[in-house]
Amino acid sequence: MAIAERHQSATPETARGDVPVISAHDVSKTFGDGRVVALNGATFDVRPGEFIALVGPSGCGKSTLLRIVAGLLERSGGDLRVHGEPVKGPHTDVAMMFQKPTLLAWRTAIENVLLPAEIAGKVTEADRQKAEGLLELTGLTDFAFSFPRQLSGGMQQRVALARLLQTGADVLLLDEPFGALDEFTRERLNVELSRITSEVGATTMFVTHNIGEAIFLADRVFVMTPRPGEIAAIVDVPLPRPRDPAIQVTPEFNALVAEVRGTLGGRL
Amino acid sequence: MSAAGDSPPRAGGERSGLVVVNHLLILATLLAAWEIGSRAGVLDPLFFPRPSSILAGFWRLYVTQGNIWPHLGLTVGEVISGFLAGSLMGIGLALVVGMSDRVRRYLKPYVIVIEATPRIAIGPVIIAAFGFGWSSKVLIVMLVCFFAPFVNTLNGMLNVDEDDISMMRSMRASKLQTFRLVMLPNAMPDILGGLRLAMASALGGALVAEFIASNAGMGVLISQYTGVLNMASAFVCVLTLTVLGFAIFRLMEALDRFIVFWTDAERMETVSRRRARRWAERSGGRP
Repeated sequence: MAIAERHQSATPETARGDVPVISAHDVSKTFGDGRVVALNGATFDVRPGEFIALVGPSGCGKSTLLRIVAGLLERSGGDLRVHGEPVKGPHTDVAMMFQKPTLLAWRTAIENVLLPAEIAGKVTEADRQKAEGLLELTGLTDFAFSFPRQLSGGMQQRVALARLLQTGADVLLLDEPFGALDEFTRERLNVELSRITSEVGATTMFVTHNIGEAIFLADRVFVMTPRPGEIAAIVDVPLPRPRDPAIQVTPEFNALVAEVRGTLGGRL
Repeated sequence: MSAAGDSPPRAGGERSGLVVVNHLLILATLLAAWEIGSRAGVLDPLFFPRPSSILAGFWRLYVTQGNIWPHLGLTVGEVISGFLAGSLMGIGLALVVGMSDRVRRYLKPYVIVIEATPRIAIGPVIIAAFGFGWSSKVLIVMLVCFFAPFVNTLNGMLNVDEDDISMMRSMRASKLQTFRLVMLPNAMPDILGGLRLAMASALGGALVAEFIASNAGMGVLISQYTGVLNMASAFVCVLTLTVLGFAIFRLMEALDRFIVFWTDAERMETVSRRRARRWAERSGGRP
C-alpha cells in the first residue's frame, strides 16, 4: 500500500539493515539540581521496524524516557541518537502520541489529520489524499468530517493515530495511547495498532503499565522499575507479529507475563 | 440531540404558539389592570404613567417630535465605539501578555490594582480631564469594556492543555503556529464570554457617564424628563433602552454560536456538512 511504501522509502539505507534507529547510552534525567533521579543509565538499541514496549509502575521513568526520545524533554546526561544523529529537540523522523487524543475541537477529523502537513508548510493535494488513505486505514472514512466531540474516545484516538502517521515519521512514540479507554476498545485498538505498525514498517516505542498489553504488542519489552527510574530487564517476545488476540491464553504468553511480573516483583 | 430531532417539529411549533398566546393574554391583562387602576385613581400616574400615555409618548418621541433620535444615536455611538476600542485593547493586550511570561509578571500588579477600583468612580475624574463632550463618555465606556475581555482572554490563553502544546512542539510547530492554531481558538469561547460581559456593561457605563455630566444622550434625556415629571416620556426612554439591551444580548449570542460552533451539537453538524461539501468540491476532479 502507498503509505507503507512512503514510510520505508524515507530511510532507504536503514530500512532492512542492522543499524539501530534509536541508540541510547547511559541516558539519564534528574530534576531539582540532581536531587530527584527520574531516569538513570538507560542504555539500549532499537532496530528498524522493531516494536518496543516500556512497562512499569508509576514513577519508573517510562514517560520521561519517551519524552526524551521525542526531544520534548532535555536529557541530563548520556548519549542519545536517532538515525545516528544526536537528539537535540523534536525531529521530523520522530512523532509522538499521547494518552489524551490532543485533537483540536474546532477541526474535523480530517483537518486534524492534516495538521502536521499544515505545520510543515502548504497542504498539497498529495497530503489530502494521504489523509484520506490514513482515515481509511484507521477505519474512519465515514467520520472524516466529524468534529472530535462527535466521536467516541476510541475513535478520537484513531484520529490521533492517523495524524501520527500523517507526519511521515518512521519512529512512532506512544505514551499510554489507549490508557483512558475501556478494556474492549483498548484491546481492539491494540490489535489494529499492531497490524498498522507492521504494515507501515515503523519503529515503535509504546509506554504502558499493563504487562499483558506490552507482551501482546512488542518484539521486546523494557521492564522498568522506580526510585531511581531504570530499565531493570529487557524481555524478548519470540512470537511472530502481528499477533492474534487468542495468543494471550497460550502457555508461552503466560510464561512471558510471569517473567516480566517476576522482574517487577523483585524490585518493588 | 437526536431525541429533539425525533420529535415531530409541528407539535412543538403548535405548543410554542400556544405559549406565546398565553403570554400575550397575561400581558394584556396586566396592562389593562394598570390602565384601569390608573384611571380609577388607585395607581399614582406620577410613578405609573398609563400604558396609553406611554404609547402616545412613543408616537410623540419617535414620530411627531422625533426628538429621541439624536440622543439615541449619540448613546449608541458612544456604546459601540467605546465597546470596540475598549474590548479590542483588552483582547490585544491579553494576547501579548499571554504569550510572554515576563510581560505577564510585570503587568500583573497594575492589573490587580486597577481591577479592584470601581470603574464608575473614575468617571468624574475622566470627565474633569476630558470635558463634558463625547470623548469622555467613550473613554468611560472603554474603561468599563476593557477588563472583562482582558481577563477572559488571558484565562483562555493560559488554560491550554499542556499535552496540546507538547503535541504541537513534537510536530516542530513555531510559537506563532502554536498561538494561531491552538491557543487563540482555544481562548475563543472565553474571549466571546468577555465580550458579552463588556457589551452588557457598556450601555450602563454610557448612561452613568451621561448622568454624571453631559448635554446630550439617553441618560440626559431621562434626567430631563424625570426632572419635569414627564414620566410617560421617561418610560419611553427606559423601554427603548430595554429593547436595545435585549437586541445587543441576542446579537452577542448569535455571534457566539457562529464563531464557537464546536460547543453546540446542532451547529457542529451544520459546519461538518459544509466542510464535507467544500472538500468534495475541491477534490471533484479526482476519481
